[in-house]
Amino acid sequence: MTLEALPLRQSPEGSSACAVAARGRILLADPAASSAGILPGQKLSTALGLLPGLRIFEREPARETRALADLACWAGRFTPTLSLAPPAGLLLEIGGCRRLFGGVAAIVESVLDGCRAQGWSADWAVAPTPLGARWLAQAAAACTLESIAALAPALAALPCTVPGWPTDTVARLESFGLRRLGDLAAQPAAGLHRRIGNGPLDDLLRARGEIPDPQRAFIFPEHFAAGLELPSRVEFAEGLAFAAQRLFAALAGWLQVRQGLLRACTLHLTHDDGSLSALPLRFGEACADESRFLRLLREHLSRLQLAAPVEALHLTADEVIARPGASAGLFEQAPNGEGAAACIERLRARLGDDAVQSLVLYADHRPECATQPRDPASILTAKTTSTRESAGVSTALGSAVVSMVATCAAPRPLWLLPAPQPLAERPDGPHWHGPLQLLTRGERLESGWWDSGEPGGIGDIRRDYFVVRNGQGQWAWVFRDAQGWYLQGVFA
Amino acid sequence: MLAVASSSFPAPALADVLARGDIWRGDALASLPETSIPSGYPELDAELPGGGWPRGNLTELLVDRSGIGEISLLLPALASLSAAGGWLALVAPPYLPHAPAWAAAGIAPERLLIVRSGQQTAWCLEQLLKSGGLAGVLAWPDAGIDARALRRLQVAAEGQPVFAALWRSTAAAAMPSPAPLRVQLEKGEAGKEESLRVRILKRRGRPASQALALTIARPGRNKRVVAGPAFSVIDAGSPAAAAVA
Repeated sequence: MTLEALPLRQSPEGSSACAVAARGRILLADPAASSAGILPGQKLSTALGLLPGLRIFEREPARETRALADLACWAGRFTPTLSLAPPAGLLLEIGGCRRLFGGVAAIVESVLDGCRAQGWSADWAVAPTPLGARWLAQAAAACTLESIAALAPALAALPCTVPGWPTDTVARLESFGLRRLGDLAAQPAAGLHRRIGNGPLDDLLRARGEIPDPQRAFIFPEHFAAGLELPSRVEFAEGLAFAAQRLFAALAGWLQVRQGLLRACTLHLTHDDGSLSALPLRFGEACADESRFLRLLREHLSRLQLAAPVEALHLTADEVIARPGASAGLFEQAPNGEGAAACIERLRARLGDDAVQSLVLYADHRPECATQPRDPASILTAKTTSTRESAGVSTALGSAVVSMVATCAAPRPLWLLPAPQPLAERPDGPHWHGPLQLLTRGERLESGWWDSGEPGGIGDIRRDYFVVRNGQGQWAWVFRDAQGWYLQGVFA
Repeated sequence: MLAVASSSFPAPALADVLARGDIWRGDALASLPETSIPSGYPELDAELPGGGWPRGNLTELLVDRSGIGEISLLLPALASLSAAGGWLALVAPPYLPHAPAWAAAGIAPERLLIVRSGQQTAWCLEQLLKSGGLAGVLAWPDAGIDARALRRLQVAAEGQPVFAALWRSTAAAAMPSPAPLRVQLEKGEAGKEESLRVRILKRRGRPASQALALTIARPGRNKRVVAGPAFSVIDAGSPAAAAVA
């Protein structure tokens, strides 16, 4: 259950040989340097003597820690339970998600593919204990062991140098002639305790699963922010897409664990002259899909003109919303299709927010004012609670209005005209597609002095409303005021 | 012994927790969607295949003049859908919906979507039907909608638990349509103005022989004709007078 990443990747795409050094000694050398005879462990002076043009990079532990944390965020897409094993290890608990991904082999393959796509090389192993998996991965075992019984012989074959015990302990074991972990396990425990202390033996027991080995879980940050220094200056905006891919991969993993959807994020660019610029990305509908992030990014990058070469990227998630997943019923077959929320999002993305609205009642006697538009997204977030509850909420919200509707038995039409339509008046009364027959007594509505004269206000009205019917069988709602007869609604 | 742990984070409200997508409530046992919705009129249910308005199929309602009670005919079915927590959508409605009336009919206004689709009514309808998240969709497509577009809509609706009603003019009755149910609505005959004539033009099964006269809910309790106020001469210069002139 482990994955060993080696975040020591600093070599720029140059033709000259380079090497990474720490504390005055060579740690890693690229193929060009190796062919010149530069080996890990050499002194810097020796290396420079062999190859004067060698470019030396200092190892940066802080960057390695950050890179490991970003990789952990990315790995959140596989399992929520993972822990860091510094300096360069990542432990994924995959026991619980084997079926989801279709077996251990499939998980390992997609993890390794993902690492490769982001430019990391990884050694891996799968084992029932965290420490056992870590040791096997450090030894580049690349094997899947699903039971403790299979783990024991694999561990026994590992050399004693693998666990990273103190050098004097390893030297001591070497002097005893104990070269493999299996040799160690075969010795009487009490004697070994006296000679090399408890630490290594406890480690061995942990690796074999004989004493518990709880891991400190990686805590996914509350707010996502990840940075990346580019190995070489990028002068063309399109060139940033590949580098940013790693940041967006981490973002997608983080969204998966946090059950979030991204609405907006910002890619901050640091130029080599020290100036900063920001590239905001906004999504029409909130999503957590990495490929979609990259598509949008490429579109933006193709239009972007870089003021100066870029040397670092920083990605922050600005607006994250909770994923509005609907839970399926236990005995119901899952409904096919995406559901109302996604559909409303799509319609709004194409038609505009104002074109898709739901309604809310507003306690006003004037018919024009009694209906107000409402953002359906605000109800959708509450919709995932049970329908019974949301119905309760809605009645609580509009209780005054609903009770007004219930007690006021006066008829109200389903349709209103955008503006009252003046009606022709003949000696036998008002006409609308023929003479109108009044079917009810007049209902006086006299209200609204407070917003007369205000922009957009209906103003004071004083109207007598009637239900009418014409010869075509059309039922309508008309009123009469000081000016004359008007048609305002249709009883459809 | 009692241990009290104080947390530095405020505990989220229970409702917030329950609203999360990854929380499943054990008591939320949804029922299987029925294939039809009772219309609320027993004599109409007897004529409709499946005993009600169909789900997952287009229903064409042919009517020439609005105001004869065409939506009131659907209100009992729509109210039952809304009461069950479903979303309803009005696509390209001809007028503005008046929320108090819809609420009084038992339809939750906050779950009534108004879609002003402009030129893209067919696309909107297809998305809404295909999404499977809506319980009812009433649409007023433009007169030019052709059989191919209708077929796309029928395919989109198939298998979804949605009641899809398209309002078209009676001129469309002569044209073929893929909708399995086509109903023509007319005003009641003389002497029975309160009723609504419902003629089933097309349905699955044998053709319907005669029109039904349904008694639907009509506005106003007082059914007799009352005398209006004395009509006065209209003020000269008012909008009404201008319209008449």
